[in-house]
Amino acid sequence: MVGKGRILVLAFVLGAMLLGAAPFHGVYAQTLTIVQGTDIESLDVHVVTSSPSYAVLDHIFETLFELSPEGDIIYRLATGFEVGPDGRTYIITLREGVTFADGTPFNAEAVKANLERILDPETRAAYANLISPITEINVIDDYTVELRSDEPFGPIQVHLAHSGMGMISPAVLARGNDYVAANPVGTGPFELVEWRQGEQVVLRKRADYWGEPAKLDGIVFRTIVDDGARLLELEAGTADVAIRIPPTEWQRIDANPNMKVDRTTGLRTIYLYFNVTKPPFDDARVRQAFNYAVNNDAIVTALLAGAGRPSDAPMAPAVFGYSPQTPYTYNPQRARQMLEEAGFDFSRTYTIHHPTGRYNQDALIAQAVQQNLRAIGVQTELVTMEWTTYLDFVRRPVEDNEVEIALLGWGVATMDADYALVEMFHSRQWPPAGFNLGFYHNPAVDAALDEGRFNADPEARLAAYAEAQRLIWEDAPWIFLHSELQLTGLRANIEGFVVHPTERYLAHQAEKH
Amino acid sequence: MLPYIARRLLYAIPTLLGVTFLVFVSVRLIPGDPAVAIAGERATPELIEQVRLELGLDQPLLTQYGRFLLGLVQGDLGTSLRTRLPVAPEVWRRLGQTLLLAAASLLLASVVGMFLGIVSATRPYSIFDNAGMVLALLGVSTPVFLLGLMLMLVFSVELPKMLQLSGPILPPTGSGTWKHLVMPAVTLGAYSTGIIARMTRSSMLDVIGHDYIRTARAKGLSERVVTYRHALRNALVPVITVQGLQFGTLLGGAVLTESVFAWPGLGRYLVDAIFLRDYPVVQAAILVIAVGFIIINLVVDLVYGLVDPRIRYG
Repeated sequence: MVGKGRILVLAFVLGAMLLGAAPFHGVYAQTLTIVQGTDIESLDVHVVTSSPSYAVLDHIFETLFELSPEGDIIYRLATGFEVGPDGRTYIITLREGVTFADGTPFNAEAVKANLERILDPETRAAYANLISPITEINVIDDYTVELRSDEPFGPIQVHLAHSGMGMISPAVLARGNDYVAANPVGTGPFELVEWRQGEQVVLRKRADYWGEPAKLDGIVFRTIVDDGARLLELEAGTADVAIRIPPTEWQRIDANPNMKVDRTTGLRTIYLYFNVTKPPFDDARVRQAFNYAVNNDAIVTALLAGAGRPSDAPMAPAVFGYSPQTPYTYNPQRARQMLEEAGFDFSRTYTIHHPTGRYNQDALIAQAVQQNLRAIGVQTELVTMEWTTYLDFVRRPVEDNEVEIALLGWGVATMDADYALVEMFHSRQWPPAGFNLGFYHNPAVDAALDEGRFNADPEARLAAYAEAQRLIWEDAPWIFLHSELQLTGLRANIEGFVVHPTERYLAHQAEKH
Repeated sequence: MLPYIARRLLYAIPTLLGVTFLVFVSVRLIPGDPAVAIAGERATPELIEQVRLELGLDQPLLTQYGRFLLGLVQGDLGTSLRTRLPVAPEVWRRLGQTLLLAAASLLLASVVGMFLGIVSATRPYSIFDNAGMVLALLGVSTPVFLLGLMLMLVFSVELPKMLQLSGPILPPTGSGTWKHLVMPAVTLGAYSTGIIARMTRSSMLDVIGHDYIRTARAKGLSERVVTYRHALRNALVPVITVQGLQFGTLLGGAVLTESVFAWPGLGRYLVDAIFLRDYPVVQAAILVIAVGFIIINLVVDLVYGLVDPRIRYG
């Protein structure tokens, strides 16, 4: 028979295991606990691809330039920027007196080492293409770097402001990629204490930070996959900030005096695109009719509880170059009539592919679109795919691409129209090269986008992007849905926590009262 | 008994080899290119190709498998495609957390489940029996996320509010102290509790009808001794089988509980890796779970002998 002794031994073993895994207790007086739904992918800021990773790593690493939440360029590790007379040389002066957390000085050599590492294919830097026009990196003196490109490179500053261009200590870089992956050493106000994969990242304040020191002593980023559990952490007061709270819950949380909800516009636009090489979607009238048939106001109101903004351009308003168009207001009669005029085949069933769990309410949105279309007599079949499979599927080259209509989102991390439009609509960006997944092609749009990219004059760029958006809106290669709002729950006593439109979160100057 | 154990462990080798091969092949049959998953949704074709080269995914499958086995016999579980960090330390850490959670929930399930089963069996068709079996049914059929979130809502938010406490009675999620273990163990154990209760009841009912129980009663033994020494002990063999199976399932199958409670276990690690096509992690995690299953089976077989002396190994 199972004796009491054995149970005691088991209890003892369990106890020992619990003590062995003692967690990070709030050692620091001011520790902010942030719960987010996704863990960081890696500690190598050049390699990671997702905003949850940047949200964490931005506290460790810094970039030469930075974008303010309003989209203005802030000089971070750079203090000056000049374009040479040929328009293809860029002189960047660097901040003096900055050291990495390991004591290595930050200087021109460090910048060169970092940019070269990003451009080196072996690094597999996710955003290397943002700076791929750079052909030469020259050290002029300790605090001056010269960059060169073959063509004028309009958005160079905003591209260098991308979090993926963070500066890693050259002493760490010298020891190879595997070492970098385990040793995140940057110039930022915080440094890593530990990363327990799938569990938490703990940061502590750096005493020798060059800028204004952080008010917090430490930050704990915890990964909680479950939306409901994340919210309960906030309600229980065991978390100070909850990232991405469910749209259906935000009003209730906001009404609670102990909590508040930050609603910051996002830069992510959600859309359904047509494969315009496949009839009947090669006909602009059909595509416009679908836009009239889909009630995106209702989707935002009912499915997102208002946590979205119906699109009036193929990008979110916070993006530089945004130019609002006349919305395709919901009008099923008109949609039906336009389809009839275009000789649309109502007897066939069309296919809509969509991911699930990738964007807020994505599967429900696809269902809503299906119902809207059914209301005007268009039959559609929904096909759900798991994300990685989906990416593979939608990025096939034109000859074996099976998509008719598919749902996706695009976030504009650089806050610039170049990034918002070129990959989506330029004919050079057909898959597998880029993200013009519907094989849209309009020479006038291509010309306007090139004009915007290779021009350093902001006014000329704005005009070019306005023209591009006008043409795209008319051609309707997408069913324009909405841009997402970021819903962040905070305890009422948290001040100074910044939710950035790029889906990053800055706790640099946050404090708890 | 030692030769028996040695032989069983030897038999495990071909099983494990089979498991590694199946895992190796099936993970590569899932549609979706790991190079795409690793390089990110916005990667250029050049970058994707680079990743493929670096990960050795361009090599023939057999070469890749050979490398994997070679690493394995050297105790090297490989490097995660995503984090570029070695897999082994992470797997061991997760295994520790999973064993802890599985052991705690099984302990709970065994104590509560067997108690319910015994109560029901000794008073068949009484109110106790019905109540116990309704509880067991609830345990088996309540979805994990519902039970987990309800527990959290009560013990972390509402009850502390009602009692005007400054903090939660039990922390909603996380790991590290015994308080963190309570709700996940209850949530995860609910299903096993139900299964064990029903198995104990039916096995006991079966045994209680036997002649030797009547004999024991006729000898004038107390009902307590009859129930626990004569009936329960003989009814235990199928219960232990169920416990062993449950424990094995808990090793890899606690994904939902781990997700809801942010418990850093092996199941969650495995599922995340599958979504990212992180082959080395998938292979390592499944291998560890398979080894766990084999060991549990062996232990269960040995425990039969302890409980029922008629069972002998040769």
